[in-house]
Amino acid sequence: MTITDFSVILPVTLLTAWASILLLAELFLPRAQRPFLALLAALGLALTLGISLAQSAQEFAPGFGGMVVRDGFSNFLNVLFLLTGLFGVALSYRYNQRAQIERGEYYPLLLFSVAGMMLMGQAADLIVVFLALELLSFPLYILSAFAYPRPQSEEAGLKYFLLGAFASGFVVYGIALTFGASGSTDLARIVASVAAGSANLPLLTAGAGLLLVGFGFKVAAVPFHMWTPDVYQGAPTSVTAFMAAGAKTAGFAALLRVFGAAFPALAADLSPLMAILAAVTMLFGNLIAVAQTDMKRMLAYSSIAQAGYLLMAFAPFEIEAARTMAVAGALFYLLAYTLASFGSWGVVIALEKDLDRHLSIGDFAGLARRSPWLAAAMTVFMLSLTGLPPTLGLVGKIYLFRAVIEGGMVWLAVIGALTSVVSAFYYLRIVVNMFMREGEPAVEREWWLEFAIGAAAVVTVVVSLWPFPLFEWAEWAVMKLF
Amino acid sequence: MDASQIIFFLSAALILVSALFVVTARNLVHAALWLIATLFGVAVLYVLLEAGFLAVVQVVVYIGAIAILFIFAVMLTRRDLLSQSSQTNANWPVALGVSALSLAAIAFIARGFGFSLDRPLAPVPTDSLERLGQALVSPQQFVLPFEVASVLLVAALVGAVYVAMNKK
Repeated sequence: MTITDFSVILPVTLLTAWASILLLAELFLPRAQRPFLALLAALGLALTLGISLAQSAQEFAPGFGGMVVRDGFSNFLNVLFLLTGLFGVALSYRYNQRAQIERGEYYPLLLFSVAGMMLMGQAADLIVVFLALELLSFPLYILSAFAYPRPQSEEAGLKYFLLGAFASGFVVYGIALTFGASGSTDLARIVASVAAGSANLPLLTAGAGLLLVGFGFKVAAVPFHMWTPDVYQGAPTSVTAFMAAGAKTAGFAALLRVFGAAFPALAADLSPLMAILAAVTMLFGNLIAVAQTDMKRMLAYSSIAQAGYLLMAFAPFEIEAARTMAVAGALFYLLAYTLASFGSWGVVIALEKDLDRHLSIGDFAGLARRSPWLAAAMTVFMLSLTGLPPTLGLVGKIYLFRAVIEGGMVWLAVIGALTSVVSAFYYLRIVVNMFMREGEPAVEREWWLEFAIGAAAVVTVVVSLWPFPLFEWAEWAVMKLF
Repeated sequence: MDASQIIFFLSAALILVSALFVVTARNLVHAALWLIATLFGVAVLYVLLEAGFLAVVQVVVYIGAIAILFIFAVMLTRRDLLSQSSQTNANWPVALGVSALSLAAIAFIARGFGFSLDRPLAPVPTDSLERLGQALVSPQQFVLPFEVASVLLVAALVGAVYVAMNKK
């Protein structure tokens, strides 16, 4: 065991240790001091973020005999996951007090989940991929049910757990078949065995297909999306916000790493499949979202649709030149999606005064007069999710569409553009409600929440005006991937 | 047909028949007992494949711990052990069709796998158990997954305690 091994997993180790200590910290804090736990959790995340940023200048390094790696890809994702964690804490802080779910287990579980996501970004072996997937999912199952005995929360947790366990079964089976086909679970060795011609290709294809099902569940791609609306609606909104951004990004991290690194040999078989999956997800997610009146369900279907746009990144895998740009575009879009998703869920939390009543789209009426800044921020997020200027969502979509067109799949780009028009209907309906309808929405004033929403909105707009450094970072991140 | 083939067919029959009873038994405890029979059949298959350690793990972990845990859970949480409701719903013909299709698809793909009956078993090294133990704690092999699994169990345990805890 060397220093490099430790340095590669230093951020994950620190966060895990911090979460374990945080679990004990509750014992020593009197009940009135509970809010202090949120601050401690944020401190741990910020510290880990600092280390991750400090490590970003360092060289590519494998650790623990190739089980994990540190490269640009994992670095980019580590930063993204830690930001997700920080946003998650900021959105949870006051909401948990209102919902009376302020318990000591909440933040340690959240940190464990973030640690699992980070490990997913760093995994270079299918065994670690699976363990990371479980480590990020288990806390999410529990957090979804965190507001029990509220029946919806219980239902959300149980549903997510049962379907998640089912999907994990697919992942394990896929890993087993991949191991059987190539003789290794190490991604680099799988590639080598394919290149040497010693791998059993039909078996490998079957394994890749099963892995795709399991990961498709995590990112909520159609037809593996069934759980999404119910879980997003039933879970405490602070958890939903964290899940919508974090679990989806982690699922895509797994897809990008495994399918980007290990299965280029299968690109000819897989890329049409991925393109169809992307098209179906975009069509279905957007069309169903139009019919929703419940805010949380609408955002849930919108997040399904967003997974479709991200899946487009896998369509041009056969063409070398388009591949790098597609994956870099996906990373960029994940960042834009994380910001817009957290922002819009934050606004939902701010408006959710009565936790037993579902927030409907009509509840946004008159928000512009009642709270102009909140309405302006929500407008930014809706524009970003639609892909309109001046937001990061537009820039991300342009990169993705360009990669798809260069990959020769014009039809997919056309579907993407058409469904974006459909999505404008339901996203902009909220903007119309906020600015043109009369109403008296009840708004919770919470400092951390407003700070998080404001930061997400400002970054979404400002970075979109000069996105090139960010895109260069994303391109640098995927350089070593292939 | 030699002895090992006879044992194989017997244990395969045991696995299939008892697995069928697992899903059709109306009494939940009976279903759990049939599950033990299934798991035992699988352990016999491992012995036939000369994976002795795996067979022991199968008996100790699956039969000794998991199946017994099932029986405990059923007895502690259910008031009546007999399920009165119908075991199928209106969709069972569809499910049957999907299952048959999946089987056909697996059979179709499996033809390309290159399985063969004449291929001899790979020799099992005599120190395989020692190697397994060392691999689990070797930094170059599986110590990281091993540790991550522990963290995962801690998270699951915390969650289980939280969910099971009685909230006034």
